[in-house]
Amino acid sequence: MNKNQSCEPCANEMLTLARTNKFETVWDRYEQQLPQCGFGLLGVCCRLCWKGPCRVNPVGDGPDQGVCGADVHTIVARNLIRGIAAGTAAHSDHGRHIAKTLLEMSEGHAPDYIIKDQEKLHGIAARLNISLDGKEHNQLLREIALKSLEDFSRQDEKIPCAWLESTIPEVRLAKLTALGVAPHNIDASIADIMARTHVGTDADPANLLLAGLRGSLADYTGMYLATELSDALFGTPEPVVTSANLGVIKANCVNIAVNGHNPLLSEFVCDMAAELNDEAIQAGADGGINVVGVCCTGNEVLMRRGIPLATNYLSQELPILTGALDAIVVDVQCIMPSLGKLSECFHTKLITTMSSCKIPGATHIEFQTQTAKESSREIIRLAIAAYKRRDHDKVNIPQHSSTVIGGFSAEAVVGALSKLDANDPLKPLLDNIVNGNIQGVALFAGCNTPKVPQDQAYLTIAKELAKRNVLLLATGCGAGAFAKAGMMTMEATEEFAGDSLKAVLRAIGEAAGLNGPLPLVLHMGSCVDNTRAVSLAVALANKIGVDLDQLPVVASAPECMSEKALAIGTWAVSLGFPTHLGVIPQVMGSSVVVDVLTEKTKDLTGGYFIVETDPQAAAQKIYTAIQERRQLLGI
Amino acid sequence: MTTSENRFVHVDSSKCLGCRSCEIACGLSHQDLDLFSAALHGHKLEPRIVVKHSEQGPITVQCRHCEDAPCVQVCPVNALYHQAGMVTLSEETCIGCRLCSKACPFGAIRVRVKSQLEGGKAVNKAKALKCDLCISRIGAVSEEACACIQSCPVKAMKLITAAEYQHKIC
Repeated sequence: MNKNQSCEPCANEMLTLARTNKFETVWDRYEQQLPQCGFGLLGVCCRLCWKGPCRVNPVGDGPDQGVCGADVHTIVARNLIRGIAAGTAAHSDHGRHIAKTLLEMSEGHAPDYIIKDQEKLHGIAARLNISLDGKEHNQLLREIALKSLEDFSRQDEKIPCAWLESTIPEVRLAKLTALGVAPHNIDASIADIMARTHVGTDADPANLLLAGLRGSLADYTGMYLATELSDALFGTPEPVVTSANLGVIKANCVNIAVNGHNPLLSEFVCDMAAELNDEAIQAGADGGINVVGVCCTGNEVLMRRGIPLATNYLSQELPILTGALDAIVVDVQCIMPSLGKLSECFHTKLITTMSSCKIPGATHIEFQTQTAKESSREIIRLAIAAYKRRDHDKVNIPQHSSTVIGGFSAEAVVGALSKLDANDPLKPLLDNIVNGNIQGVALFAGCNTPKVPQDQAYLTIAKELAKRNVLLLATGCGAGAFAKAGMMTMEATEEFAGDSLKAVLRAIGEAAGLNGPLPLVLHMGSCVDNTRAVSLAVALANKIGVDLDQLPVVASAPECMSEKALAIGTWAVSLGFPTHLGVIPQVMGSSVVVDVLTEKTKDLTGGYFIVETDPQAAAQKIYTAIQERRQLLGI
Repeated sequence: MTTSENRFVHVDSSKCLGCRSCEIACGLSHQDLDLFSAALHGHKLEPRIVVKHSEQGPITVQCRHCEDAPCVQVCPVNALYHQAGMVTLSEETCIGCRLCSKACPFGAIRVRVKSQLEGGKAVNKAKALKCDLCISRIGAVSEEACACIQSCPVKAMKLITAAEYQHKIC
């Protein structure tokens, strides 16, 4: 096995098959890119105008500035915040799509959608200061949608975004406002970054980075509303038992993978799969239709419906190699274009669904909220038709899958805690943090990258922290890594948790009627759902009257890759959390930018980046950051 | 005395993009540095290959290991000599006099000067710096061992002999 491939057996079984049959995967393409451009790795290449490209050479005798005179710090800072803007645009567009769906529902243009969690909707209304009094359902929906969309359109710079203002402690909002980084408008924050990084505009690295912090908080805002409105629409996740890894693909089923990020379509694919199950059986698949998840659409449907997860980002090509995947339905973000070419080697139908995401080799079925069910039926019938073309001799499904206990929304965690103390559910958690049974909380988020063995850093750091009694949460492809590896199980708690953490997880699990401890890692959703973890941290902070940067709470993105991860990591720092990156970010060409991100932000927001590529050393640094916070709190 | 034809790194200038990856790879490998710490701690790389701009496009300049090498002829302390199919430099013997730099028709030899204190007074230590086909770090000459060749994203470089070169251009 190549040392930089995956650390888990299903992936390696498929990669052996790929090598034998000369199917190219992400790992092959990564090898072909090596060595990667040193200037790019350092972030010192500027392509913002056509006088360039310019690259500053921080390891040579020059040049030390671009044609326009931009020095390395300006160039690195500009490149960095443009990445944040792109990440924010991606997340927030997802959020806008959900909010607009609510608006369409209120106007009767999205007949297939219903509000599945009325209580959550009312909670959102209360959060946004929208009164319920005597309002028709559609009127309430309309007001919530418009209030949310106002976070994309407000022109008064003095008024912060409602979804930011209403979800963080007052003291944190005051701090961010004083720094001038509380966004008033998500789109404007993105446009501001693009405008100020245009040639001949902002050249001050510190000023550029502050705009980056504002952009990242716009990302937070867009993510928060995306998650909350999705919960109202499709239901707030509750604990659910399912399974993960390639073994969830079934030889006797029409297998449909949903891949990407947005639940607007995948929810209906699941519904219509049930409706059209008989058609699959008639086509010869006696097991009916089996929907499986990939990447974060996979996490969305895992959390809300217990749909099994086939795999996370990096190995998204491998389900096709099983020869038993009949369709892979994609929406937006983190979808490898390679799926087009690879699916042509099999009977697998690649189906794109969003106007902003088309892939050569795919069949495009434009998804409209007005006709959600009909589009989903069409997609499923394409999968059934593809199944009829399946070459059963080519089927090669790894037999392994792990049990997953998922569905830990903030509400679900509080719900479990309320079984210990119905009047004050956060008290047991807080008491155990104060008395040291739980040393702190670590949220694992982010992606996969072929630069490190897939999933390995997540697993190593988590085991080290669990041993030291740190409560572990995970989202996105981090959650996918833990799900596949069996770390979201009671057995993992018994095996890896330190004694005091184990006792707490047992007490909560038993009280909640699970007949065992809570799983070692709590699955909090897709990467857009990182705000679920923040909502818990904010509840804790508000309860004891401290700011977020005082809590023994850390974030870790050991295998980060995307611009969205960059935006998330930056808002985690902006909110005050020590944030670990396990992949070296493309900023190392500028000592000023590195200093700001790893040191100066401590004074500004309390948060900071920890860059550590060695998982063992990273675990130690994360634990040390937790201990520093505990000491300052005097606990 | 037996003679073997020298080998050298040939760059196909029609392929070269001028990306300077070879410069970085050369500097890092000879100085045993990694890119990120070099950038962060301000270590200057001293590559033995340099990408230059010409009207015909980018070209690289590095020692061609000439068969009748002017640098070998002019070196007053015999620090440069032919050995194992290449022009070799003995760093211990070199006094940094720059005669080789002047004699080289390609400008492929630079002299690195380092000031240091010895017995309380500043002393300059100078050494010529030229392509050694990576023998100093790998111990043998091969295309796989040459950091610049391995770093080239468009595979514009090859380790060849003069005869192969002749064959290429005729």
